[in-house]
Amino acid sequence: MDKVIYTEREMALIDPKPGTAAAAARDFGIDLSLTVTNLRLTPEQRIKQLDEFQASIKELRKAVISSKRHGRDRTGSEAVR
Amino acid sequence: MAEIALGLKLFADFGVNCVVIGGVAAGARGSSQATFDVDICYARDQANLTRLVQALRSVNATLRGAPTNLPFILDEETIAHGLNFTFDTNIGKIDILGEVQGVGWYSDCFLHSDDIEIFGNQFRVLSLEKLIAAKRFAGRTKDLLVLPELEALLEHERASELEYSEINAKDS
Repeated sequence: MDKVIYTEREMALIDPKPGTAAAAARDFGIDLSLTVTNLRLTPEQRIKQLDEFQASIKELRKAVISSKRHGRDRTGSEAVR
Repeated sequence: MAEIALGLKLFADFGVNCVVIGGVAAGARGSSQATFDVDICYARDQANLTRLVQALRSVNATLRGAPTNLPFILDEETIAHGLNFTFDTNIGKIDILGEVQGVGWYSDCFLHSDDIEIFGNQFRVLSLEKLIAAKRFAGRTKDLLVLPELEALLEHERASELEYSEINAKDS
């Protein structure tokens, strides 16, 4: 993957000057490089990304529930044996 | 399309006058925080309440987090007598607010929002400044957690606008 080159404005978020809101956010633990990545998208692309993320989490939850159920089934059949 | 897209599409399809607020608005403004519901502030005129109720009925909206035996009729009268409601629907979680504390009613939200095209429809999306005001007013842990990023985004937005206006001033 090519190295990402940030603009001066983007760098103000990634490597903020002390006393700025960006510095406060960084110190709070926010990864502002993710925010910069979002800012490079259009608002519509950002919403699409949120939507896709939400769909992925839903699928992941289904998979976890399903694997727990199968785990219980296995335990059950082993107990009978 | 997942729940956020379907929720937004629902309001567009039924022509509901609303402003997108909450996590979806924050996401549209650049926030990297995840959200799992669609929050809107709706206009409370009779015609809009009718459209809103039709939209919510079409996705079998039921009150979220309420006892199952709590009587609730989803109609214009109920919405007019109440203000803010949280729903579970066939297409996901939808919260409708008549008033956003720290910002105001639909007309106030409208005034402090921009048109953004999402999935082929135009939506009014609340400004960063007012999203911050609403989060600060709500003051719950989940609201306070997103504040630093929103404030950094607002700082970035203002600096970008200033830079843009300086470039324009030089050019003219």
